[in-house]
Amino acid sequence: MSTLREFDIETKRVKSDSETTDMALFVRTSKEDLLGWNRMRIVDALVRETYVDIDTAQEISKEVERQIIDSKIAVVTAPLIRELVDAKLIERGLEQARKMHTRLGVPLYDVDQLILHPNKENANVPHSPEATNLTLAEMIKKEYALLNVFSQEIGDAHLRGDIHIHDLGFIDRPYCSGQSLEYIKRFGLSLPNSLSIAKPAKHPEVLLAHMVKFAAALQSHFAGAIGWDAVNLFFAPYLVGLDDAEVRQLAQILIFEFSQQAVARGGQAIFTDINLYWEVPSHFEDVPAIGPGGKYTGKPYGYYQEEAQRFVWFLFDVFKEGDGVGRPFFFPKPLVHITEKFFKTPGHEDFLNHICDVASEKGNTYFVFDRGNTAKISECCRLSFKLEASDLEDAKEPWKMRYTALQNITLNLPRMGYLAKKDDTKLFSNISDFMEMAVQAHMQKKGFIEKLLSLKERGPLALLTMEKDDSPYLRMHRATYLIGMLGLNELVEIHTGEELHHSKKAFKFGLKIIAHMKLLADKFGEKHGMRFVLEQSPAESTSYRFAKLDLRYHSPQSGHIVKGDISKAEVYYTNSTCFTVSSQMNPIERVRKEGLFHPLIEAGALTHIWLGEAKPSKESLANFVIKTFNGTLNDQIAFSPEFTTCISCGKTSRGLSDECNYCGSNEVEGITRITGYFTKTSSWNKGKIGELNDRFRNSGFLNDGDGDVIKLPQKPKN
Amino acid sequence: MEMVKIFWKANCSKCPAAKDVGNTLKEEGFKVIDYNLDTLDGLAEGAYYSVMATPTLIIEDRDENCIADFRGIIPSAKEIQTLINKNYR
Repeated sequence: MSTLREFDIETKRVKSDSETTDMALFVRTSKEDLLGWNRMRIVDALVRETYVDIDTAQEISKEVERQIIDSKIAVVTAPLIRELVDAKLIERGLEQARKMHTRLGVPLYDVDQLILHPNKENANVPHSPEATNLTLAEMIKKEYALLNVFSQEIGDAHLRGDIHIHDLGFIDRPYCSGQSLEYIKRFGLSLPNSLSIAKPAKHPEVLLAHMVKFAAALQSHFAGAIGWDAVNLFFAPYLVGLDDAEVRQLAQILIFEFSQQAVARGGQAIFTDINLYWEVPSHFEDVPAIGPGGKYTGKPYGYYQEEAQRFVWFLFDVFKEGDGVGRPFFFPKPLVHITEKFFKTPGHEDFLNHICDVASEKGNTYFVFDRGNTAKISECCRLSFKLEASDLEDAKEPWKMRYTALQNITLNLPRMGYLAKKDDTKLFSNISDFMEMAVQAHMQKKGFIEKLLSLKERGPLALLTMEKDDSPYLRMHRATYLIGMLGLNELVEIHTGEELHHSKKAFKFGLKIIAHMKLLADKFGEKHGMRFVLEQSPAESTSYRFAKLDLRYHSPQSGHIVKGDISKAEVYYTNSTCFTVSSQMNPIERVRKEGLFHPLIEAGALTHIWLGEAKPSKESLANFVIKTFNGTLNDQIAFSPEFTTCISCGKTSRGLSDECNYCGSNEVEGITRITGYFTKTSSWNKGKIGELNDRFRNSGFLNDGDGDVIKLPQKPKN
Repeated sequence: MEMVKIFWKANCSKCPAAKDVGNTLKEEGFKVIDYNLDTLDGLAEGAYYSVMATPTLIIEDRDENCIADFRGIIPSAKEIQTLINKNYR
């Protein structure tokens, strides 16, 4: 660490004498001590940190010293010295050296604001000292990433808002991951640098404890979500012989453990997805089951269907009850896979009603549609890994089923539209250029992560390099690289004058854009030997950021395009390939049409059905789910009710309201789904608040309760 | 005028037969457009019609409404002619 970089604050006395050795200038360092002024520290730093030759470094140090003396500054700070040196580098045209000599840090004002006010970039970050630490660390790592990991061109593209590199503050970690409980069942909890090693769990509650600890460890090594595959099935061998009360208790512990992890990284709950099945997925049916002590039980997983069903049923019982005051659980997110086999498995009607009951009552359920022979592991707001032939081979040894998306880059689609000025050729050329930037950004991040991984057990990602099964925990050769899109609706409007839902022509044009992106992703993948896949980015803050940047760079046109309320700065772009949230469409029509994009978006897509205050019958929702599975190509749907919870009396009521329905207090919190998870609306950024105000609630279409009100679009006649 | 859209891929063994049906229909005066799903226009149009199998044949009426579809199967040219003539001519 550079001493000069840490030079700090405070001049005790400045003498007019310019000789370094005679100056009684004391500088407080960040190591909390005082150092005497020494011009040579500037020289040392310049030579060590940049390519500047020693003579130039000497000259600069003398000039800076003279400047300090002449200015008679009362307090000299390390950042000030560094800035003065940087100014000298700029005067000499040494731009690259200046960049290398940059000090990363945060202005005093910003730190003050952060400590006092909540950070709304991510609604899953609370306001607490731990969260402030996270935010400050993220700010420095963001700067580091833009200066030291990505090229100038990519960094500038991000700053301009052509693209958005997600989770820059977590530059030294992969983005998100899909996990298998089988890993800890087989190998126990034996993590690099841990103080103790646990053998494979013998009891279900111990397995759960291992899962929670491992999730926390993974949260420290991934930026985003941790998804767990087939949780109810993999717990099942541990549940044999337990009575219903015991299984229910375990379900309750699991949900509370994952919903109360607000003591982990940055005070954040671990963004946890649990993938659940009513049936035993075909690819696990004949796989030997691992039971207590990490030993094979001698039976295949197909044998444990009943236990797996009992567990998943009780999990949804707990979701239906909600937390201690009846609020919906924010995490873990339950993703139920609806497959062909689901409908052939006895009891599926009752189970579908059960999970639809929860969807209507609390909104937790995500319905993931695996049609044909598709199998997926879902995580994050909508990301999913489709299992390919090699993955299904891995399923024979399920602990190998661990996947990662290394990074997510979202493209600002409306920006391409503004730049193209309604010229088709220019537009498609812009898409190619932006895609190429995303690919470059991915390659740069990949190179950086590979550098960290090469340090193995001595590096910061030791956990991801551990080899319990003869391959590193993080299987880089299986990594995917996500390319997201934002504001297709607005791009189509800019280019054609119509929004996606306005006409067939506009809609088809939207499909063409995404098809182009898909073909490019495949082409770049072949060229670079990497797996680039399209994803509907959750874009919780990106939607707001892009809209604000386009108002800056592309007004007045953008003023007519961005959604929300400009007067309140509550602006946003429509998420990914979705129709605008305000369009008053029949929900099944929305699900069907938005679903036409989904086969092109390999890494996951989702359609939201905003319920507002409505509470449709479970039969209605079950009917809707069946029709979605049979009559559309939609990947995933979720129903989102809204709640108001009272801080004064603790009660929770349906719908968003400014005051409590029970006690009249105005000390209330709104709760609903922001992107792919529930949270309090008070933590939302302005863009999302704008979107919330615009959302069209589908109360009428789903609410008559006879279970057959949903009309599918007219099917083609055969 | 009614239109027949044929979606195909280069590595699909059944697709040449579907294109032959298309050629026959063209000779009979029907409007036929074929789409290679590996191209931009093909993929975009295929996405609109939920094409998940090859070959797929979509028959549209004059107002571009789908009146019949054959997915992963190949009807005869006569079958399509009959269908169109029966319903719309």
